[in-house]
Amino acid sequence: MPNPLTTFLLKQTLGSLVLMAAITGVAHADTREVETAYGSVSIDGTPERVVTLYEGALDAAIATGIDPVGAVITRGGNDVAEYIQPKAKGIGIVGAPGETNIESVIALNPDLILASAQLSKEQYNLLSKIAPTIVPDFTAFTPRTWKQETRLFAQALGRADAGEEAVTRVEDKAAEVAKLVESTLDADQRETGLIRWMPQGPLVMSEGLFSASLLQAAGFNVNSANIVKDGRPHSHPLSQENLGLIDHPWIFLATLNEDGDEALKAARKSPAFQRLKANKEGQIIIVNGQLWTSASGPLAALKILDDIANAVNNFATTH
Amino acid sequence: MNAPIHTPRETPPTSQVPDPQRLTRGYWYWRAKRQRWSLLIEKRALVVNTVLLMVLVLCSLASLAFGTLSIPMPDVLLTLQGEGTSMHTFVIEELRWPRLLAGGLAGAAFALAGCLMQTLARNRLATPGIIGIDNAATAFAVASVVGTGISLAPPAMALTGAAVATALAFGLAGATGTRGYRFIIAGLAIGAISGALTQVMLSSVALDDANAAYPWTVGSLNARAPNSVHALTIGLAVSYVLSLFLNRALATLQLPEAVTTSLGTHPGRVRLMGLILSVLLTGLAVSVAGPVGLIALLAPELARTVSRPGSIPLTASFLAGAILMVVSDLAGRLVLAPLEIPVGIVTALAGSPYLLWILLRKSPDINR
Amino acid sequence: MKAKRHYIITWSLLLLVCLTSLLFGAGTLEIKQAFAVLTGQGSAEARFVVMELRLPRLAIGTITGLALGVAGALLQTLTRNPLAEPGLLGVSAGSAFAVSLAILFGASTATLTTLVSQAGALAGCALVIAATRIQGVGQDPVRLVLAGATLTALLLSLTSLLMLIDQRAADEIRFWITGSIAGKSWDQLTATLPTMLLAGAIVIGAVKPLASLALGERVAIGLGHRPGLIRLMVIIAVALLVGGATALAGPLVFVGLVVPFVARALGGADIRKTLWLCLPIGPAIIIAADTLSRLLVVPSEMPLGVITALIGAPVLMLIIRARRIPTL
Repeated sequence: MPNPLTTFLLKQTLGSLVLMAAITGVAHADTREVETAYGSVSIDGTPERVVTLYEGALDAAIATGIDPVGAVITRGGNDVAEYIQPKAKGIGIVGAPGETNIESVIALNPDLILASAQLSKEQYNLLSKIAPTIVPDFTAFTPRTWKQETRLFAQALGRADAGEEAVTRVEDKAAEVAKLVESTLDADQRETGLIRWMPQGPLVMSEGLFSASLLQAAGFNVNSANIVKDGRPHSHPLSQENLGLIDHPWIFLATLNEDGDEALKAARKSPAFQRLKANKEGQIIIVNGQLWTSASGPLAALKILDDIANAVNNFATTH
Repeated sequence: MNAPIHTPRETPPTSQVPDPQRLTRGYWYWRAKRQRWSLLIEKRALVVNTVLLMVLVLCSLASLAFGTLSIPMPDVLLTLQGEGTSMHTFVIEELRWPRLLAGGLAGAAFALAGCLMQTLARNRLATPGIIGIDNAATAFAVASVVGTGISLAPPAMALTGAAVATALAFGLAGATGTRGYRFIIAGLAIGAISGALTQVMLSSVALDDANAAYPWTVGSLNARAPNSVHALTIGLAVSYVLSLFLNRALATLQLPEAVTTSLGTHPGRVRLMGLILSVLLTGLAVSVAGPVGLIALLAPELARTVSRPGSIPLTASFLAGAILMVVSDLAGRLVLAPLEIPVGIVTALAGSPYLLWILLRKSPDINR
Repeated sequence: MKAKRHYIITWSLLLLVCLTSLLFGAGTLEIKQAFAVLTGQGSAEARFVVMELRLPRLAIGTITGLALGVAGALLQTLTRNPLAEPGLLGVSAGSAFAVSLAILFGASTATLTTLVSQAGALAGCALVIAATRIQGVGQDPVRLVLAGATLTALLLSLTSLLMLIDQRAADEIRFWITGSIAGKSWDQLTATLPTMLLAGAIVIGAVKPLASLALGERVAIGLGHRPGLIRLMVIIAVALLVGGATALAGPLVFVGLVVPFVARALGGADIRKTLWLCLPIGPAIIIAADTLSRLLVVPSEMPLGVITALIGAPVLMLIIRARRIPTL
């Protein structure tokens, strides 16, 4: 019997494929009309100088075989995220997320700008005068969001097929990891939470976060105990006294420091942390915060699924 | 220009009129034919203000020319005449000019507010930033940005905050008093409370939102909203004209209270007027640039050193405030490019050592 | 007789506050269960919450409150200024800046050394004392406070600049700078303890000469004390206390103002009496504020620094509501 989630994802994909075909069919071979948050944008030919103002856009562009000329730094770093650095050598930095330096965008002389869904109308008005600007218009923090965004960016780049391929690759991989999880972990051992450990206590990440949705797709049951309230989609701090709320068999611990072991050591100094089931059983999985709490896109997805698969394989060999 | 306009009540008998030549030395003097009104223009103020205006123009040109992209000065001038390349036109007209305008206006408003408040409290340190009006306005504006269910626009909220803080400071301190010290300490406390409240609001929203709001809470020209700038423009124009009318009455406030009253000025009324203008200006400026309060202290200080001793350099402060803000913003944009240092941090770094020097030098003349 | 009553009242108040702090928290633990732990029973879960989470906080709160209260009283007597408060005068900001620098250069908040923080506090103290030596400033309470506020603003801007330069450090600094004693372990407490004890010893040694110094430099010299030495000792004690407290709890303003203020209101201006009264009052205020911080935004917590500011600022106004600012 197939996993209902996989079936659901499959249906979604098929539906989008049909839709995609319809859109590309209507548009002229060289000119594409792309539906964005600020209306329909038409793009000619194949963009060559692409600036990405959003980590998901950078990831999607590289995944479809384009080398963007400019990007924003990742949160908590001074460059693009580590996982993508080898593929984005010499890329121009044009500001921080949400704080674009428009002048440095102009300096790069782009022919296409890929932005995040949060881009404000004022910023859009300026950027769209420099080059066609693509702002996604999808509901944020759903498991589908990154796929929709990847397809949109790929379409704008004139590489819809490559984008679709990248998404499918992730879906295949997710299904593969899900199988591994199902065969390795009992159903009641699949509950997990994604947190960051601050000196005052944990910061609980939303279930709607990109990496959390991948954990779900890979067969884990992400439970953040409704701590992250509606309309506050990213994360929320939790008092140590309430750590019981996230005392799951597995915990993915994201760090901002390059040195993850250091972060784990620091967290382990806390008696509250020591009491966590996952800590006692060795199921605290240290993951890179740049990748897990801030990135988005198909390449990031593959990396995250790798992390999950490694963690589960480790578990299989030790148990 | 410092142009106090006064209306003589009646034409005095000719024999008692003092020699106008002697009395108006240092002024350009002009009187209407029927002597219903006259105009005095202080020569030194005119020179000082012209020079300041020229400096402001130069700084503005620099601010239009430099950035991550540098535009050669001839091209800047061409673009201003409408003959630049489309790229230059875009950078100057769409990016740098609105920012320059917002910065210049906010700086002028802060400085004018500071100059007014210093005069009416008779204390050089009594500026809106130090007595916590900035922080209160910021707290209220952040409340509307963060979305606490209050649907007022940030400028209105910032104004409300400024007014509440001032009322509190006055209520707590009794009045400005002769030295204005109690007023200042009350303001310090209000500022601390407002700062704490801002923190509470920011800590209750998601980390990313708090990060986004952070540059704004320290004062930045990056997040200005167009309607705030419009409100500031109108408010500044009105306040500037009104403050010029108030200038002569303000000048008499520096004299002992009894003398002021005998000159026909109602000290309480003048103080209230000055205070209202000051609060209005600060609230509007905060809604554009955030709490860049040190400008309100530095600019009048600068203006006073170049102006005639004893005068109230409203116009010079206005210009100096605009200059300081434009220069600070330019520095903030250039130093760490492509990342930006918020203008509030630049002014704090440059301004606080100077403020410390004022406070700590051996022969203080804080009370003018 | 009256003095005795003050001690009884303040100490029993402290006891009450401590009890409350052990019984109430952000967690789902019922008061009854927490109480059971105190009587030696209770579930393992309850024992853990009370003994491992709340008790260390209580201990750290006690030390922080003691340190800040005593440091405030000392600094106020030394500068003869009732508004001289480590937080307001920039001593805490100096310490915070030093810590931020350390974080920038790779220390993490969990592994911070107390010494960095104390070095920063010492620099801040030195600046304050240098300022009071300038003629005019020492006699003028408000100018000193304003100079301190300016110094604080300057140091905070420098800290902001550090946060801009290094985004990684920014998150850690931001969490630390609001002030909190949540999640601190016994280790951190024991790390600060030696220097705190040293400071305590200095205070005990210096309190009598300091009291005579408060009567005037000549009196002190006449009694055989060396004013310069007394000042130096007191400054070192203040720096150790404030630096240690800041390392534990982050920069907390107004505590050093409120505690001696209440103590003086109860016991008069004598520094020895003030210090004795600071012992129960300091911890009581911090612990009460910390308990509040746990209860206001369940299931999260509010930064402690915010609560102390909200308690302390009105006290500052109260002081200046007095007809004139008293000098010590």
